[in-house]
Amino acid sequence: MTMHAMSAIEPTSPPPGVLAIRADNWRLAIVAGLALSIFAALTLPASVSFWVVGVAAAMIAAAFVVNAYRRRYYGGLLVAPAIAVLFVMNIFPLLWSLGLSFFAYQSNQQSIRFVGLNNYIKVLTNEIAAPGNWSALVNTALFVVLTVSAQMMVGFLLAMLFAKQFPLRKYLLILVLTPMMLSVVASGVFFTYYYDPTFGILSYVMNAITGGQFILMDSKAGAVAGIVFADAWMWSPFVMLLVLAGLVSVPKYLYEAAAIDRVSAWRRFWSITFPYIRGLLMLALLFRTIEAFKLADLVILLTKGGNDTMTISYHLIRIANEQNKTSEGAAISYVMLFMVIVLTNLYLYLANRRNQES
Amino acid sequence: MAYGISIWERLGIRKSSGVSEAGWGHTAFVALISFIYFLPVLFIIFTAIKPQGLALSVPPTLSPTSLLGLIPEQFVFTPTLENFGSVFSRVMTAGSQPEATGFDRFFLNSIVIATASVVLALIFGTLAAYGFSRYPLKGNDTYLFIILTTRMLPAIVVVIPVILMFRTVGLSGSYLGIILLYTAFNLAFTIWMMKSFFDELSTDVEDAARIDGSSEVKVFFKICLPQVVAGLAATFVFGLILTWNEFLFALLLTGPDTRTVPVAMNQAVSSGGRGTDWTLLAAIETLFLIPVFLVTFFLQEHLLRGVTFGTVKK
Amino acid sequence: MSTIEIRKVTKAFGEFIAVRDADLSVAAGEVVCLLGPSGCGKTTTLRMIAGLERATSGDVVIAGQRMNDLSPQKRDIAMVFQFYALYPALTVRENIAMPLYHEKLSSSEMASRVSRVAEILHLREILERLPGQVSEGEKQRIAVARAIIRDPNCFLFDEPLSRLDVELRHSMRGQIKAVLSNLSKATVIVTHDQLEALTMADRIAIMRDGLIEQVGSPHEVFAKPDNVFVASFIGTPQMNLIEVQFKDYSSGKATVTFDQQDVVISVNPGVARLRPGKVTVGVRPRAFSVVPNGTVDAIGAMAELIEPMGAETLVHARTVTGSDIRVVVPREMKVKPGEALHLVPDPAQTHIFTDDGRAVRA
Repeated sequence: MTMHAMSAIEPTSPPPGVLAIRADNWRLAIVAGLALSIFAALTLPASVSFWVVGVAAAMIAAAFVVNAYRRRYYGGLLVAPAIAVLFVMNIFPLLWSLGLSFFAYQSNQQSIRFVGLNNYIKVLTNEIAAPGNWSALVNTALFVVLTVSAQMMVGFLLAMLFAKQFPLRKYLLILVLTPMMLSVVASGVFFTYYYDPTFGILSYVMNAITGGQFILMDSKAGAVAGIVFADAWMWSPFVMLLVLAGLVSVPKYLYEAAAIDRVSAWRRFWSITFPYIRGLLMLALLFRTIEAFKLADLVILLTKGGNDTMTISYHLIRIANEQNKTSEGAAISYVMLFMVIVLTNLYLYLANRRNQES
Repeated sequence: MAYGISIWERLGIRKSSGVSEAGWGHTAFVALISFIYFLPVLFIIFTAIKPQGLALSVPPTLSPTSLLGLIPEQFVFTPTLENFGSVFSRVMTAGSQPEATGFDRFFLNSIVIATASVVLALIFGTLAAYGFSRYPLKGNDTYLFIILTTRMLPAIVVVIPVILMFRTVGLSGSYLGIILLYTAFNLAFTIWMMKSFFDELSTDVEDAARIDGSSEVKVFFKICLPQVVAGLAATFVFGLILTWNEFLFALLLTGPDTRTVPVAMNQAVSSGGRGTDWTLLAAIETLFLIPVFLVTFFLQEHLLRGVTFGTVKK
Repeated sequence: MSTIEIRKVTKAFGEFIAVRDADLSVAAGEVVCLLGPSGCGKTTTLRMIAGLERATSGDVVIAGQRMNDLSPQKRDIAMVFQFYALYPALTVRENIAMPLYHEKLSSSEMASRVSRVAEILHLREILERLPGQVSEGEKQRIAVARAIIRDPNCFLFDEPLSRLDVELRHSMRGQIKAVLSNLSKATVIVTHDQLEALTMADRIAIMRDGLIEQVGSPHEVFAKPDNVFVASFIGTPQMNLIEVQFKDYSSGKATVTFDQQDVVISVNPGVARLRPGKVTVGVRPRAFSVVPNGTVDAIGAMAELIEPMGAETLVHARTVTGSDIRVVVPREMKVKPGEALHLVPDPAQTHIFTDDGRAVRA
């Protein structure tokens, strides 16, 4: 990374000490803001503490901006608007729900009570709540493995088809990309039609072949297959797009050299092509894994969680939205976030290690 | 002859000067695969032009034309454009006059909300990406990872605090609220994508411009931005596809005036207790698909060049 | 036998004809340079020999076999690409070994072949590095190593030295020539640098606008250019090409009108066949002798611009009517701008070209 000319210019004033009360002392602002927020959250009602926290955040942000401006940290100024939006709409709600996970709170009741780690202990070990959570988690793991591997494979094969230039390529590519553009409501509902035992196309074909009555969603395996198929169909184009971007970035002269050197197709793929798509495959894997953890909409539309297809995200929607157990839901989602972060870091670690090896 | 042209090469599937373009044989093969892949979409589009009564026929009707007798008569239906009309105006309760459904408004809402939030995310995200790329902070990667984690949580976890927050501040059901939320939703990958584009640019040109006396603002707008147009286009399409179809936030945070099509679609097809209105759903989805389809089609080349995310080693 | 022959080869890209009716044969052990300005079709010709482009018509014959329809894999050739085309994810060793996998060698055999070429091209130290971690000159040597590690039908080089700096280019020219002379294979080198062609080639094929203008030894193309283009393209400083009116010829002397004065120049007897009319006289800048004022048939000119070139001095002079003449004089001869020069061309190095650009030879 290149440091460039402007950042080499001397700061116009020395940075303030931690305790100096000045407009650009962001360290002090953070300490004060956090203390104020925690104090407010613990003692004041939610509707008031919201504004207190908001003011604290604004104070910290202002200190950052003044600091960045005075010291010519243009980076800070450039990043500030995005961080502000992310903070208000994402990070603050995240922290709020993190806070909620330590309280007993139900969104349809007024009472709120600090319970420490009890929510976590409950969702992980309680003999009534935990089994549902665990089975939803196991199902989610199953869906993550199946949908992501299906998407990676289909997406990869589709990308290989489109890697060359050929007539009408542009028009065929857009056909394959279309499933990704469908609203999940429409495609989900239509998959219930395709799978429908009475009217559906799949059943019509299967009945004609086997002669019996074919009901896909009748068993867990069938239901899982149906959901995985629909999800892989919708999102393989995403993987394809990433892989294809890697494939088309391989310089043509490398393939020419390989032809001259009489390199076999197998070796050519692993020695030349694969290094160009490895990073993108990793990225596709990362994105799709994150999304697969969130799988809920298709399950709602196709099985409503029946046949043991409940996923953690759908479970969460039920707990938090339908049963109003907000803080329990928050606790589950933080357990889940923890798992996703561990998994993504594992991916990134493995990806980096591979890069260093080669 | 010791070296012949293989049958595949004659068919044009593999050209003997194998490293360049593939021929029509390859096109035929890919067309077949693409067509099969596209079939479920095609079925939705065909359902949109089916007479309502045929939506659940057994055997299913598959095509508006018999393709010169290729498809048996029982699978063929007579196309109609009626369903598209009933998207905007239809009889709601039996025996009464057709009423406006408000879908014109919902389409407009979707367009305004998706475009505004993607453009806002593009503006903020590009500035931030430029900042992260050119003025790296200590622990830059950590900040970027934290930004990525904002995409990891299920929407439902964020949505509850957001509902409470919006209620308190009075943003519930307003354009501003949902647009800002979607902006945040799009920011993470906008920053990631645009940063990789800025990372790939050589800083020599920028430094030369600085030496020539250009201001930082001018360097950004005149030198850097024109070089990342492909990235902007790719990010725009990605953001649009993801925002266009977003359902959960829209369901919980839009009001009657700001309702987007996915939410309205969900209500329209399941209201009235008569089960799913298949032809109506298909008509809405077909209309709804057109804008995003066109944008993707026209920005396709940028999309391909754009999504490398800088992970490709030079 | 390691030979290359192309017969009446044409390559069309749609409307555009990149190469037209090219004929060329390269004997075993011979090095032929395709030389020409950029866009003349020389690289396309090379790629047709390699099989990377398909000839629109004509025959490509390698080692006595017509290979038009064969893919590069089946032609058994080695090629060095302009941008080297090293595989970025493989180490230098793996890059060099890449062509050997086809031959299904044992790993010890492979290792010994790699170390042999690494020895020849001084790559021993960097075998474990990636192409991104070596210098431009080393990349070039790796590309050559990858080409010579096997025993192909022929060698093809596409602008092999164009990315090196002057000094490296000089030493690599010598190295490549030495390596090639031990291999006795037909070799085609594409270059736009005439010095490269003149020093490395046994024969040079000069191309322009898709046509091979002349094929000959470096000496032939320099001393006996077939046409005005070759004459102007080969040799630095460029040959003086002066348009004159040809009047008549008698016993080795031609009378031409130049600058409204009749000048008698010594020419070859082939000129006798010419009718009076417009011709081009070509004289290399080094082929003038400076003579005292009043010498018969001397061309008078005024020195305008002096460019010292070390051992010699290049003088840009202007004739009475304003034609520009380049003259190279020994360093000892001190010419000043504005000084009058009287020049007599060397008859053995005076070329006459007809109106359509063809050289007139005996």
